[in-house]
Amino acid sequence: MDIQSYITLGFSIALTVQNILYCFLGVFLGTVVGVLPGVGPVTTVAILLPISFTLDPVSAMILLAGIYYGAQYGGSTTAILVNIPGEASSVVTTLDGHQMAKQGRAGPALGIAAIGSFFAGCVATLLICFAAPPLAAIALKFGPPEYFSLMLCGLIAAIVLARGSILKAIGMVVLGLLLGLAGSDINSGVRRFTFDQAGLADGIEFVALSMAIYGIAEVAYNLEKKEVATQVARHIGRVWPTWSDIKLCIPSVLRGTTLGSILGVLPGGGALLAAFGAYTLEKKIASPPRRFGEGDIRGVAAPESANNAGAQTSFIPMLTLGIPSNPTMAMMIGALMIHGISPGPRVMTDRPELFWGLIASMWIGNLILVVLNLPLVGMWVKLLRIPYGLLFPAIIVFCCIGAFAVNSNAFDLYVMAFFAVVGYLCLKLDCEPAPLILGFVLGPLMEENLRRSLLMSRGDPAVFVTEPISLAFLVVAAALLLVVAAPAIRKQREQAMQE
Amino acid sequence: MSIRAPKDFWSGVMFIAFAAVALVAARNYSLGTAVRMGPGYFPMLLGGVLAGIGVILVIRSFIVSGEPITPVHIVPLAAIVLAVALFGALLQRLGLVLTLAIVIAISAFAGRQTRFVEVLALAGVLAVFSVAVFVYGLRLPLPIWPQ
Amino acid sequence: MTVTRWFGLLIAVVLATATTSPAVAESYPSKPIKLILPYSPGGIIDYVGRQIAQYLGESIGQPVVAENRPGAGGITGTDVAARAAPDGYTIVLMDPAIVINPTLQPSMPYDLFKNLTTISIVSTSPEVVVVAPQLPVKSMAELVAYGKANPGKMNFASAGVGTTPHLAGELFLQRSGVTATHVPYRSIGQSYPDIMANKIQFAFSSIAGALPFTTDNRVRPIATTGTKRTPVYPDLQTVDEAGLKGFEVDLWLGVFGPAGLPNDVTTKLNAGLQKILKNPSLIKALAKVGVEPNGTAPEAGASFVKSEFQKWKKVIADGNIKPN
Repeated sequence: MDIQSYITLGFSIALTVQNILYCFLGVFLGTVVGVLPGVGPVTTVAILLPISFTLDPVSAMILLAGIYYGAQYGGSTTAILVNIPGEASSVVTTLDGHQMAKQGRAGPALGIAAIGSFFAGCVATLLICFAAPPLAAIALKFGPPEYFSLMLCGLIAAIVLARGSILKAIGMVVLGLLLGLAGSDINSGVRRFTFDQAGLADGIEFVALSMAIYGIAEVAYNLEKKEVATQVARHIGRVWPTWSDIKLCIPSVLRGTTLGSILGVLPGGGALLAAFGAYTLEKKIASPPRRFGEGDIRGVAAPESANNAGAQTSFIPMLTLGIPSNPTMAMMIGALMIHGISPGPRVMTDRPELFWGLIASMWIGNLILVVLNLPLVGMWVKLLRIPYGLLFPAIIVFCCIGAFAVNSNAFDLYVMAFFAVVGYLCLKLDCEPAPLILGFVLGPLMEENLRRSLLMSRGDPAVFVTEPISLAFLVVAAALLLVVAAPAIRKQREQAMQE
Repeated sequence: MSIRAPKDFWSGVMFIAFAAVALVAARNYSLGTAVRMGPGYFPMLLGGVLAGIGVILVIRSFIVSGEPITPVHIVPLAAIVLAVALFGALLQRLGLVLTLAIVIAISAFAGRQTRFVEVLALAGVLAVFSVAVFVYGLRLPLPIWPQ
Repeated sequence: MTVTRWFGLLIAVVLATATTSPAVAESYPSKPIKLILPYSPGGIIDYVGRQIAQYLGESIGQPVVAENRPGAGGITGTDVAARAAPDGYTIVLMDPAIVINPTLQPSMPYDLFKNLTTISIVSTSPEVVVVAPQLPVKSMAELVAYGKANPGKMNFASAGVGTTPHLAGELFLQRSGVTATHVPYRSIGQSYPDIMANKIQFAFSSIAGALPFTTDNRVRPIATTGTKRTPVYPDLQTVDEAGLKGFEVDLWLGVFGPAGLPNDVTTKLNAGLQKILKNPSLIKALAKVGVEPNGTAPEAGASFVKSEFQKWKKVIADGNIKPN
């Protein structure tokens, strides 16, 4: 069979009434959990895993996949309207998205996020069709040194994109890396930074930490302002962006989609790194005038395209290699195994209806998301246009339930309370939390890959420069550092930040 | 000599404090060898870097001037943090509905301007919504009533 | 009210209590039973646990609810069961980590032998030894020969310090005299790209983890670690057959409850488990991940747990394996 007949097969599977229904249910649930801070796709997929046992494997995968990429849409809605990233990958969307909302341009921000995501979703889906096998072959070449260098590159990008003082941004990244090390060290089994607390044996819970900083600390900070006006954008404006907005965004969407598609394939990369990377790239190469951090629509278009593209292409290593690139994908593999399917290249040939049905459903799901979300934006806004005095207790409650739901452990709430104070201090002191979050996620992975590289090279650090791909990432990282450190550019950067 | 950039100064202090905790906690972890890097190596390295950044920030805050820190309102912050911790402490004993009522009451106190009837209505709406969505909809294992 | 009526009432009450009190004990289970799975969704325990929960629930007439309580290498979830009331409504499914953790961890929240009751061992599953496809090694004997010819050159992967793939690898090094460097991963599945690329030369893997990679020869399976060959890889020798006599590593699973379970509760749960483990459709479901049913009586299960504890304790001591 050629690719065309495979695609036809895929649509014939995905367009059955039952599968359209599961696709709709998946993306709707995904949007809802994306909008609700504290409940993420990982938790939801975990909870729905038992329900998926009763479905046939194709429907189960369509449902679970819908939750994952649907959440990328929902996450941006709250990021723009209330400055809370519904998902970690929407963190950068808050930077310009919420600024736009404050200026009464929430509508176009939401519109461009949806359009960019839809475009990126379509492209990424096509990409999975045509490029899955060769791309998988590239990712397969990555060993520990390549991963370490890639992550280092990502962290330096996070420093470059941070607002305000570079020194503080480096401090926040390093603090994030340190916090990420808490828990059992896989290389030695030693429990680090657990202070004899059983609740810290597996480290600081990511959901608790991110909700503390982006949910609770924000509430405390907002309550201090003189008039506690609603933080939800009152005026969203028309949702459809103007033609000049769209024209401005086309290159950004294209760049975001490309970068997101590439980063999504890499295990450990995925939607989060894609969004960060796309934003950094945009800041560096978007043609002037640049007003990033102050409501530049390109600062929404690029990361939103990138995170959706990344979310879609992260299916590539899972479907072609049986390797999860993130926890959600790990659960997908679990769901497949429950149905007696071993994920791997054979899925494509042995179960073409599963592979191509899922791909086709992703395209349908993206269409449903746009159709569902552009009109529903009004509903989210109505839902969120509640006085802050009534809204903030709801935010606190959802964060609490979300933090508890992950491990059913009261300790995670104490962790959240502690980091709410830390997050509040950071806000007061102009220390941007985004680099901390990225450092937190990448810290343990970086350390693992560094130590693994040195184990394999028997202690020879030259391995990072003798492997060509690793060397390339290091060169990019060094270039980024030079760019930031160069006095002329730094002055320009500071000027740009102050605008 | 006086602090000219209080935000930088206190950021530096915060970084130094975290670095100090990390370095003290990591002093017992082995540093390992070049081949088998120990569990203490990365924390020591990061702790050192963080302390260094903190020190630079503190020193610089005496030289380069910056914005003042807006006044800290301790009451709302304390109330909210207390509400979060109480949620953890009470949920499994009192169940979701009563815990929510308490958390919302304390949060409303933090917001000050909310009236009693509103708080009551809000607690009711949120309790019904949470039970419907999280307990019945998403099947999270949360107790609804005291056990 | 007459004396006869009083008397009649008295008899009625006595009869009622006489008939109800054994009935209370007989009626276990009278509410849903919670089966703790101490790992995240997606792994073998999760898969097997949910299958067992479903079949056991149908068999004993009350729903058995599987609940993931991941954390600290299974210690968190096991601790929940160890602390539960000994009424048979909270039980846990665990793997060999339950006997390895007490030796490996400097402090434990519970005592394996004092706070837990073995209800039944339920399954057995060998590990499979996989090697990088580039390696000129087709059998266990060739791996040993290659290892001796290239001392210290090989790496082997594990799912972390003190996990079964790690200890099985250490046991292999101790028994064969081969030297190799241990490279830990977060899960054994994570190590496969590096095995395929010959950055890692061999690993002791779960069958479920190895299957996707061995079916199309991206890694080469060379032996299994059971006492007899597994139906999943019928052509593969066991390590014992290959010359390392008595070498056996079993990824068994067992159901445990808190200490002090009433005998009849243990018996009832054990009987229920024994019964469902003979169900052909459950056997088929378990076979998909290379797991074979292996029900034991509670006493036999307890002595098996003790012998496994001793076996790994020795491997850990001989290999000087400790968190450091």
